[in-house]
Amino acid sequence: MATLARPAGRTRARTRTRPLALKRVALLLTGLFFTLWTLGPIYWIVVTSLKTELQVYRQPTLVPTAVTFKNYQTVLFHSNFLLYIRNSLTVALVTTALSLVFGSICAYAIARLRFRGRRLVARAIVISYLAPGGLLFISLFELLTELHLTDKLAGLMVSYLSFTLPFCTWLMIGYFRTIPAELEEAALVDGCTRLRALIYVIMPLTLPALVVVALYSFTQAWNEFLYALVFISSDSQKTFTVGLIGLIQGDTLPWGPMMAAASLGMIPPIIIYVLAQRWVVSGLAAGAVKG
Amino acid sequence: MATATLSRPTERPVWRRALGTDWKLGWMLVLPVLAVLAGLVAYPFVLAIALSFTDKMIGRPAHFVGWQNYRDVLFGDEFGSIFRRAVLNTVLYTVVAVACKSVLGMGMALFLHEQFPGRNLMRAICFLPWAIPSLIVGLSWQWIYNGTNAGVLNMLLNDLHLSDTLIQWLGNPRLALWSVILVVIWQGCPFYGMMFLAGLQAVQAELYEAAAIDGANIFQRYLYVTLPGLSAVATITILLSTIWTANSINYIYILTGGGPANTTMTFPMFAYQVGIAGAQRLGAASAITVLFLPFFLLIIFALTRRMLAEER
Repeated sequence: MATLARPAGRTRARTRTRPLALKRVALLLTGLFFTLWTLGPIYWIVVTSLKTELQVYRQPTLVPTAVTFKNYQTVLFHSNFLLYIRNSLTVALVTTALSLVFGSICAYAIARLRFRGRRLVARAIVISYLAPGGLLFISLFELLTELHLTDKLAGLMVSYLSFTLPFCTWLMIGYFRTIPAELEEAALVDGCTRLRALIYVIMPLTLPALVVVALYSFTQAWNEFLYALVFISSDSQKTFTVGLIGLIQGDTLPWGPMMAAASLGMIPPIIIYVLAQRWVVSGLAAGAVKG
Repeated sequence: MATATLSRPTERPVWRRALGTDWKLGWMLVLPVLAVLAGLVAYPFVLAIALSFTDKMIGRPAHFVGWQNYRDVLFGDEFGSIFRRAVLNTVLYTVVAVACKSVLGMGMALFLHEQFPGRNLMRAICFLPWAIPSLIVGLSWQWIYNGTNAGVLNMLLNDLHLSDTLIQWLGNPRLALWSVILVVIWQGCPFYGMMFLAGLQAVQAELYEAAAIDGANIFQRYLYVTLPGLSAVATITILLSTIWTANSINYIYILTGGGPANTTMTFPMFAYQVGIAGAQRLGAASAITVLFLPFFLLIIFALTRRMLAEER
């Protein structure tokens, strides 16, 4: 009977008509709630960044009466914002590249090669991935001081490896497992060495996975705050997360330009997220749940 | 090894079997990662414990002081009461945030698992906060919480005549922790949504059909099919999130700095203040982190076991 009412929806066919209407209302309300909950704050940030100072402080309204790009000009051309962004980019790119190279060869060894201690290494990688920065930052600061790496971008790159490297390795182990071993065995039979088989047979197949892992790793490094806050003090070495904090604490920037900076800083991870979106759910599940 | 090969000509040498066929290449490939982990994770752990028994300050040599730091942190006049406060706050902050994120994330996942027009767009919107750097989230909410009429929350409350005073969301000692927790939930629940959604997609449709045939209503199906099917994912998500939430300094640092009157002081913030910002006592700060270490090690080992469970 319900099948007659709604022949199109296969899963809904089983439910009766009255609950169906109820369900639609419930879905609509839930959708409305989550949209407001998520986009509300984002809307306010973007809208503030487009307001004049008068509108920001004296006559705040939900919808701006006039739009200005002055705040963006201030941030881009009258502050160190672009320098901070460049530092963030440098650190995130270097960290990601290193993690990708060393992480994937390590993951390959764990997923494919047979040697004693393999499981132990896998365990060490998971434990390191889980080891929280909140517990480590004090002693890491001391370690970097000894190595004369504090207040240097190189120090940040090194310390970011402590979380991007185990993360990339762990995700890649999962991906390598999904590639059939026969492919590689065929290459070995044909006289390929292990290393050549890895580079010419396996790596091309893992390319999509590598891209996703790279995006994750880049985002993590881009968003990092605690280590940058603790290890960096000179303005010239600040990443944009710490840089912004400096701007607000020094009262250098009023809220309008501040929110312009916030809007700009949101863009790279959001672009990445939109690009990688169709892998996000499955990728996360593969990394954290299945391995 | 030559003798081993000679005595058993058909088999591989004993040492070779003991180490595994690919041991040379295997260890060569894992070595860089192992070196980094040893230097940047294992060593700092040991160093933290070592530092906690010294009077190390930034820029000064360290001397062994025994349990002095622990006495100072736990019972000293300067730190004792803040430390107890920090323990309490950390627990409250973590438990409330994790619980709310679980419930909201579950709602989000159930919603996004339904079929309706525009579902992909809705997924993209729901997961958006997860992609924004937490520092920017913190800054933005600081502006939203602004205690003057320019803060959007106060503005809305006044315009709708729900409140005629300006609420100090972050300045009021009774409100501050809850305001911070709300931000943590806002950014954190998409992660739960994604994980639960992935879990939901893995629950077999046949189970629902079977339950429907048996006459189970929607709540019974949720209780007896969905929840058991999600338990593995949920455990991992909650444990992961507990570690991250408790250890995150970002929101608190930006929104309140641990104040007002230490009402939002959690342990990493406290360690930061003692070790880096104020007194610069790295030894005492290490003692604070080491005191929290056993608790996190328990979670980490439980999680490691679960995450590696499917490897075997």
